[in-house]
Order: sequence, then structure tokens, then C-alpha cells
Amino acid sequence: MHYRRPGLDRLSHALLALCCLLFLLPVWLAFTASTHTLDALYSQTASLWFGEAGWGNYRHLLSGSFGGLGTDVLTLLINSTIMALGIAIGKIAISVLAAYAIVFFRFPFRRLCFWLIFITLMLPVEVRILPTFEVVADLGLLDSYAGLILPLIASATATFLMRQFFLTVPPELVEAARIDGAGPWRFLRDILLPLSKTNLAALFVIMFLYGWNQYLWPLLITNDADYLTIVVSLKRLLTSADGLVPWQNVTATAILAMLPPVAVILLMQRYFVKGLVDSEK
Amino acid sequence: MATLRLNGIRKRYPNGITALHGIDLSVADGELIVVVGPSGCGKSTLLRTVAGLESISDGELMINEQRVNALEPAERDIAMVFQNYALYPHMSVFENMAYALKNRGTPKDEIRRRVTDTARLLDLAELLDRRPRQLSGGQRQRVAMGRAIVREPQVFLFDEPLSNLDAKLRVQMRLEIRRLQKRLGITSVYVTHDQVEAMTLADRLVVMNGGHVEQCGTPMMLYAQPATRFVASFLGSPAMNFLPLAAHRDAVVLPNGAQVALPDMLSAGRAATLGIRPEHLVEAASQPEAAAVLDVTVEMLEPLGADTLAYTRLPGLDEWLVVRLDGAHAAREGQRLSLAFAMANCHVFDAQGMRVPVSNEASVSLREAQ
Repeated sequence: MHYRRPGLDRLSHALLALCCLLFLLPVWLAFTASTHTLDALYSQTASLWFGEAGWGNYRHLLSGSFGGLGTDVLTLLINSTIMALGIAIGKIAISVLAAYAIVFFRFPFRRLCFWLIFITLMLPVEVRILPTFEVVADLGLLDSYAGLILPLIASATATFLMRQFFLTVPPELVEAARIDGAGPWRFLRDILLPLSKTNLAALFVIMFLYGWNQYLWPLLITNDADYLTIVVSLKRLLTSADGLVPWQNVTATAILAMLPPVAVILLMQRYFVKGLVDSEK
Repeated sequence: MATLRLNGIRKRYPNGITALHGIDLSVADGELIVVVGPSGCGKSTLLRTVAGLESISDGELMINEQRVNALEPAERDIAMVFQNYALYPHMSVFENMAYALKNRGTPKDEIRRRVTDTARLLDLAELLDRRPRQLSGGQRQRVAMGRAIVREPQVFLFDEPLSNLDAKLRVQMRLEIRRLQKRLGITSVYVTHDQVEAMTLADRLVVMNGGHVEQCGTPMMLYAQPATRFVASFLGSPAMNFLPLAAHRDAVVLPNGAQVALPDMLSAGRAATLGIRPEHLVEAASQPEAAAVLDVTVEMLEPLGADTLAYTRLPGLDEWLVVRLDGAHAAREGQRLSLAFAMANCHVFDAQGMRVPVSNEASVSLREAQ
């Protein structure tokens, strides 16, 4: 929509800029705070500009264990990345296969299968977290990447989204592929997945963020510092032992924790913008 | 090259609907069979059972005298052109055409050679790197054809391939399909609801209705000797005129009271409808020897250039009587016309719509029924 009203244009731009500033403010505060020393943070009111510690705080965080966490931030970042990638890729793999079966194959109780998957949407993770913990503990998966990833890997939401997309694929395309000698796997690999590229990119971003931001589950099943994730560690830093909260470390860790999701979004954005531009069948 | 034979093919869906009631059809090597019928007559289902996209409930499907009922579509060695082309949107024209060959494990250089040859044949050589969405409707249609041709299949199946094109392109592609099919000599089954397409393309025509074959034969034979009233009404544009016949003593009468003398008493008893094509109704004045039996009033004129169609009203008949007049005819709306027709051009059908053979001595007389 475009109206020929310069006043309206200017007003909406001003509003947009204001909102952007509001959203950026906390990030900016965290970023500047992460460059101050602990003393400076406690001896003055919140500063809006960089402090004298500079990159020192970051260097300190990345180089050695600190603050009772028993590990360095680099390990935390790697752990979180492994978990988030595992969850995102696992969820996509499982939901694509489930949706593929539900949409393209005729088997008994097909509808029932779909509804069974669908109703799991109605159970929040927290409701089933204790039984899940029990199972994972029995399997001996506490303090392991498998334990972090596997219980979160099935996704009704993603299955549902993929199903909706698969339903829009014209049936003639399936038939043409059958006549062209493409078996089920080939059809999935050569035709369905390339056509779903846009959806997969969007789903990947959502699922990566979901995995990255997991708090309760990693908190429950990890004791070993080697498997600690960055989101959990943030909370742990705040409650560290000896009185003063090391705000410069907390904010720096928070800034570092933001970087991978931002990178994923920027990277994937190219794909789904491209997909949106030249999608159409 | 191949022959195709259908022996009593039936298709019943799990919900109890029967789409095909035992179809028998034999297609000779290199022949182009057109299956035509109104929507819902089962013609697409027939094509899909031949393709293997639908299972066969009963009967036998033979390609080259080999039973293929249980084979997957790809194993039947057929190629199909779909109505909406069903091109893979994410693949280039080249990849679209090469896909079936690639799946069969054809060597790369042979794929390249065959695709380029086919592209040249279809005038697609410049477009091989394009995606389907960058092509016009006619080009997409040609790619769909190319995808079928490049495989050198035993049988070609066409599912209303021209119905998404505009009128001019449709005529052009119709000729193109005919030319290619003859040149490649591939046995083909072509499904359409367009009777002009059916008449012009077919070596033999199969008219289907309600899951049955109504009649099968050359287009001109079906046009001249329709076996049923349905076939008579389906082929020809504008459609054949039908006049109900009423039995009156030893004769049958037309709605306006004119008597039709059918010498054969048996056929006289069965006759229920008289069919006459618009081009077989002529002005009585031009044919002094034919009895003028139909006095009609012109209600509407449709000038088509070469001819003019006159929609006329015959007393006693609810429908219009359509007459094909010469384009130069000076008819006006509201004008009265005296029409004559030769009995040899008439088709007589019984109450079930089956053709009743009429001997040559049959005639129509002006005599009013008593």
C-alpha cells in the first residue's frame, strides 16, 4: 500500500525508528556493560558508553573457566550449538518423514496416525518432563548430547507444517514422477525436498532458536560442566557464590549467547527471501 | 513399437462406485486412438489405469501381448502428457526431460544426446536452461511432450494436453502432435472432451459414456453412422437435431404432423427419434425433388463467415432446429423457411437410443396425418 501523503510517510518512519531504538536499548546496555570492570559497574550508575575493560572481559571468558561454572564460555557455546543443531536437524528430519508418510502413502489408520501426532501438540513439555527424565535416566543418557537432544527431537508443529505444505504439491507431479521411474526415496530427494527448500529454511530457523533457548530440560539432566549450555549458565552466573553478581561477565556471556542465533537467522534469511522471490509453481 | 490391448477392463473404487464397466479395446502398432466423452464418462480413469496410476479391478491390460496389470507405471514403458503438464518446477527444461532417463541409469552422454535431439525436434534447443516458470504455455506444453518423447516409450498417453492453451495455439499444437505422432510412429491413446480435437487427430475414435464404450471406429464412420443417439449428439458442431417420432397407425409422424414412411414395419415400430444434422437440412426450393416437410421460422442467426447457423422454430418441437445455411444466404430473423431433407441423411434411433437401420426406400411425405 502506498499513499501519497508525505506527512504520513515521515511520521511512520519516525515511529519505526523510535521502536527500533527501544528494542536496541537493552542490547546496547548489555553490550556497553560488558566492557566495564566489575568495580566500575558497582561504583557508578549505568553507563551508556564503553568502559575501560574493553575486550578484556571477553578474552577472559573465552580463555578459561570462571565463576564456579567449571568451564569456559567457548565450551558452553559449542554445547549449545550442538544441542540446537541436533534438535533442529532432528526435528526437521523426523517431521519431513512423518509428513511424507501421512500425505503420500495410503496405509491403514493413516488419519489416526496424523491425529495422534497432532494431539501431542496439546501436551506442554513441562507436563511430561518427569516421566521423560525417568526414561532418559534409565537409558543412561544423563550428561550427554544424546540426552540433551533426543527427547526434544519429535515435533508435532513441524510435522503439521510440513504436511500442510505437502498437501499443496499437485498430485500430477507425484504421478509424473512415478511414470518417470522415481521411487519413494527418489521422489522425496529429487522433487519434494527441493520444492520445500523455503519451508525447510524457515523451519530450521524456528527450530534452531527453540533448541538454543531450551532451559528447563538441560538444567534437569546436566550436572557435568562439560555438557552445560550457555542459556543455563547465564542463570547460574547470576546466582554465583560470593555476594557481588559479576555483571560484566553476565552481559558479555549474554552478548555471546546471542551471536549464533543471529548468525543462523542472517544465513537462512538469504534462502527464504530467495525462496519467496522465486517461489511459485 | 507396441500394440495395446484392453480385455474387459473394470474399475471399481472402494466406495462402491464403478467407473469403468468392462472396456475392450485393441490399439494397433503406431495407431492414435482418441478417447472422447463428456466429463465424468470415465475416459481419464481409463487412461490412468493404462498408465498404472490406478489399479485395475478386473480384466487384462496387455502391452505387446504381455500382461502388465501388476507392473508399476515406470515398468510399463509408457509416457504420459498431463493436462497441466506437471513439469518439475525446480528443474531446468533439460533436467525435466532427462529425469526419467537418469532414473533408468542411462549413461550421461546418451542422455545429453537424446535430450538435445528431442529439443531440436520440438524447437526447444534455446530453452534447455530455462525453468518451467520462465516459459509460455505453448513452450511448457512442448517441454511436456519432449519429456515423453525423449524416453522413446512403447505407448504415449495424452490426458487433455491442449485444454490449457488458447484457441490459436491449440490448433497449432494439434497439428504438431499429429505430425510428431506419425513421424515417430508411437502407439498413442489421447483423451479429450473436445470433439474437434477428437475428429481431427484420431485414427480411430472411441466415444465413451457412463463408463461404457458407446462406439469405436474411424472419425468419419462415427460421424456418418453413429451407433447410438449419444454418439450422434456428441460428435458434430452444432449438434445433430433430434425430432421425436410418434407412432400413428401404420406410419410414424414428426412433431409437425408430417408422415415418415418407413417401409420396414419392424423399424417403424421401434423408431423413436429422427436425427438430422444441420448441414443436411436444405432449402426446399433448391431441391425440387425432395419433399418439403418442415416449415420453420428463423429465430436467431449466427453468421460464422463461411456458413450461417440458423436457429429455427418448428411447430410442435420444443428445441430449436439448427440449420447450416450458406454464408451468403440472405436469411433474416423472423423469416419463414421451407426445409427439405433426404431420408438417406437421416438417423433413426429407438427408445433406448440405439440406431435403427433404415432401408433406402424410406421417405418423408408432406401428407398430413389423419
